[in-house]
Amino acid sequence: MKAIVAENLTITYDGKPALEGVSFSLDEGETLLLLGPNGAGKTTLLRTIACFHREYTGRLEVFGREPCDARELIGYVPQSHSLNERVPLTALDVVAMGGLYRRGFVHFRIPREILEKAEEVLGFVGLAHVRDRLFRELSGGQKQRVLLARALMSDPKLLLLDEPLSALDPSARAEVTGVLSKIKRERGITMVITTHDINPLLEIGDRIMLLNRRLIAFGRPEEVLRDSIIKSVYGPLARVIPVGGKLFCITGDVHLPRKGGGGR
Amino acid sequence: MIPEYLLRALLASLMVSVLLGLLSPLINAKGLAFLTHALFHSLLFGAVLGMILGLVFENLSLVMLTALFVTIAVVLLIAHLEQLGFSPDSAVGIVASFVAGLTVLGFGILYRVMATRPYFPLGESIVSYLTGDIFLIGLGDLKVLVLGGALLFFTMLLLYRDFLYLSFDPEGVESYGGNVRAYLMILYVLVGAIGSLIVQTVGLITLQVVAVLPGAIALMVSSDLRKVLGVSLFLTLGVQLSSVLLAYVTDIPPSGLATLILGAIYGVLLFRR
Repeated sequence: MKAIVAENLTITYDGKPALEGVSFSLDEGETLLLLGPNGAGKTTLLRTIACFHREYTGRLEVFGREPCDARELIGYVPQSHSLNERVPLTALDVVAMGGLYRRGFVHFRIPREILEKAEEVLGFVGLAHVRDRLFRELSGGQKQRVLLARALMSDPKLLLLDEPLSALDPSARAEVTGVLSKIKRERGITMVITTHDINPLLEIGDRIMLLNRRLIAFGRPEEVLRDSIIKSVYGPLARVIPVGGKLFCITGDVHLPRKGGGGR
Repeated sequence: MIPEYLLRALLASLMVSVLLGLLSPLINAKGLAFLTHALFHSLLFGAVLGMILGLVFENLSLVMLTALFVTIAVVLLIAHLEQLGFSPDSAVGIVASFVAGLTVLGFGILYRVMATRPYFPLGESIVSYLTGDIFLIGLGDLKVLVLGGALLFFTMLLLYRDFLYLSFDPEGVESYGGNVRAYLMILYVLVGAIGSLIVQTVGLITLQVVAVLPGAIALMVSSDLRKVLGVSLFLTLGVQLSSVLLAYVTDIPPSGLATLILGAIYGVLLFRR
């Protein structure tokens, strides 16, 4: 079954296009890496699939439904620095949040089964030992893994991750990448991941989409990661280097002037 | 033998403390301090409107009721603007500026109406509304405060976790199936209703301080949620009760004393940091 289908998708903010004429489809269980410079429309596409943004034309379906009708199938993982860390919540509180809102409006106490499941998924991401620590006191990598655990609480069929590796040191990147790999391997969940640095994620990426306010390229890594394609977006210094049978993409970081709502 | 008015004041302090003790950490965690500024304007406008109506219909109990309705309407409007995409500060700024202008216009009308009814001691009411006078609280006021306060307290307690999640990550709540709009509306209505309920005891001028500082202090001394709530509750209770007792002895308005004590504690903690 197709996890995502987009046909001639144009996403706008206040009528101005942020991303134009995107068409692609992603099979269930596949991992899509969204690559592009700042303001290219990666997060815009992710947030539209997640139904946070609804201003678009064209066709967009998630497991055969409109994005807003497929919300219970989607787990969204924001960037940890977008959260309000003044709120004194523990790691377990944050994870439990992901399982509470499918049942009832009032959540004075966290039900036992939700707590048990939260502990289980915290264990799955390798953080059982931090369950009672404050979220804000965790390291960047741990925070990202807690947010991944929260997303897993609702048993999603599609995980949307916004820059899960941003502002992380190499060891924290390896921790998060390891968990993503485990999710793909053991749970077979479809994932869409936006990223600036594609190299740590190449091992789990089945498809790569290169965006620059429109679709530049979409396909398997070896089809998209070509010098000519990468240079067309990132400039003449960008290149793809094969090392030991693996591809490494050197893009630098290009900052484009904002247009519409891209790059949010 | 404790004088009855002092007993009523102490009971009122107890209710005010319980409400503010629970609400204040939420105000700080959600970043609602600016909303309490809008609360000031809406309560003042509501009171002025209530006084005009009270004079016209010769029933001054309309003051509290009108202030309550106006405040709830204002906070709901702010919540609605936030839902439309305005930042909380912008939403408060837009609404508060209109309400402030209407308040000045209202005062102009009030003075005219007052001139036609010189037998009502309204000047005293306005001053006590601004500074608060817990010793003047009557049995009827106390009943309203206790019953209304209990209702608001238990509503807030039941939804406290949801309000924390709403403050932490509203998009998360939405994406996992929660009704962000409803939680936001209820939270803002609670803030408005609590402000309306306690304004006559703590005073309009000092309301913002007593609503914000206990939570700010509690969040400075602890990061564990239970301890934060405990510190906020005991601090509010201690400050409110001691200010009532000090006011009884010194004849200084208790709301002023409570504000000074809280300000001093906050200042010392900041200085020690």
